[in-house]
Amino acid sequence: MPALRIALAALFLMIAVTVQTSVLPHIAVAGVTCDLVMIVVLALALARGPEWGAIAGFAGGLMLDVVPPADHTTGRWALALAIAGYTAGLIRRETSAGPVGPLGVALTVVLGAVLSLTVYSATGSLLHDPAVDWGEFGVRVGIAAGYDVVGAIVVIPLVMWVMGRVVPARERQRVLR
Amino acid sequence: MLKDLGTPAKGLVRSAGLPREIRRRRTILVLVILASFTLIVLDARRSAGSPVEPLRHAAAAIFGPLESGATNARQPVDDLRDRFAEVDRLKAENEKLKAENEKLNSDLKTTDYARSRAAELDRLLKVAPAYTVTPARVIGIGSAQSFNHTVTIDAGTADGVRPDMTVLNGDGLVGRVVRTTQATATVLLIGDRNSTVGGRLNSTLALGFVSGRGEVGSHASLDYKLVDLKAQPKPGDRIVTWGSSGNAPYVPGVPIGQITSVTPVQGALGSTAQVKPFVDPSSIDTVGVVTGPPARAPRTTVTPEKGR
Repeated sequence: MPALRIALAALFLMIAVTVQTSVLPHIAVAGVTCDLVMIVVLALALARGPEWGAIAGFAGGLMLDVVPPADHTTGRWALALAIAGYTAGLIRRETSAGPVGPLGVALTVVLGAVLSLTVYSATGSLLHDPAVDWGEFGVRVGIAAGYDVVGAIVVIPLVMWVMGRVVPARERQRVLR
Repeated sequence: MLKDLGTPAKGLVRSAGLPREIRRRRTILVLVILASFTLIVLDARRSAGSPVEPLRHAAAAIFGPLESGATNARQPVDDLRDRFAEVDRLKAENEKLKAENEKLNSDLKTTDYARSRAAELDRLLKVAPAYTVTPARVIGIGSAQSFNHTVTIDAGTADGVRPDMTVLNGDGLVGRVVRTTQATATVLLIGDRNSTVGGRLNSTLALGFVSGRGEVGSHASLDYKLVDLKAQPKPGDRIVTWGSSGNAPYVPGVPIGQITSVTPVQGALGSTAQVKPFVDPSSIDTVGVVTGPPARAPRTTVTPEKGR
């Protein structure tokens, strides 16, 4: 069961990376694309908790760091998404044992978008990457957060449903209690 | 601050679990953060010898074909977009026609450029850039929120593409190749804040540098600073590359853009001009990589026999 779950999570992340780099830029809003990988990480975190959020965030972020056209220092997205995933997992743990409501999911996505982009840009600034433009940052984070909520409406229920299917009966009992 | 992330909140429906579980969770967070920092430190210089490079190659080998396939499956996405934005489509068509018009104009001006240059260089130097160009398709685009103005193309070392090669399309300069793998290459667009291109004013042949501003969309512009402080750029002037030695990273004579406005720099000599690039970075699809020298070198040295 755990092997199947890990394989599914890896599959979701790989699909997300591919779609985010090659399809979504064609429907970008002012150049900002939907952070599909981040949404999948948040969905995994909401489904499985902070450990999964952190590890899935690291793995997904690492892919974003090395898959072309990435040309920044490796590890920046990995760090950003690991922190966002961990935080999202904590939200799931601490609000309720049952499924997180739609509003909770939307707020998690906004928080995740702001958190991950802030960490990503901050590490860029620390490394003196001239590409980071804090003047444009606010606008882009705003658009990205809004766009991500739209994307999350489709992606998060799908991922959480699939991950819920492969939870063993014993654990399902525990989660629902 | 990180330590507080794992603290269970009080008075909620469910406590955060056993302390042991919290410890494990924090250990994982710390490990993952340490791993990220290790990667950042290892790759901080982003040079060719970076230990992360094999990872990048492996990723490109796996995701290159995937991105290529996903780009082929783009049609439904495009249809969706068109349905939602019929007006945008018409606008885009209008822009395309305008761009075509502009291209014809630019061709005209480039001819002028070649003519004045040829006259200036005593007709011995011929700018007839019959370069070998490898066509490629854009299969991946960096997003604006990550401040990456880079694209992936589906031509790599197998097609003769190497780092520091000029990338252009029918409208003008797109950028340069920064890294390559077997079947893909990453192109740094001229709009990126890391990018600087040597540019020459068509009308006066004055030299300057075009640098990206990190802007996106069809209104994105570039900065142009002249080397010669006395040269006066005017709105409407066109800029072409002046080329680098060995044709890397930029070959000469590629149109870059047109000056839209000039602002004098406060407290310094000279002025900065805003340049509208001929290539709209958000709508590039097929590009060409200059992979070979021209059939005849444009700058052969003048031997006394020939000069006489």
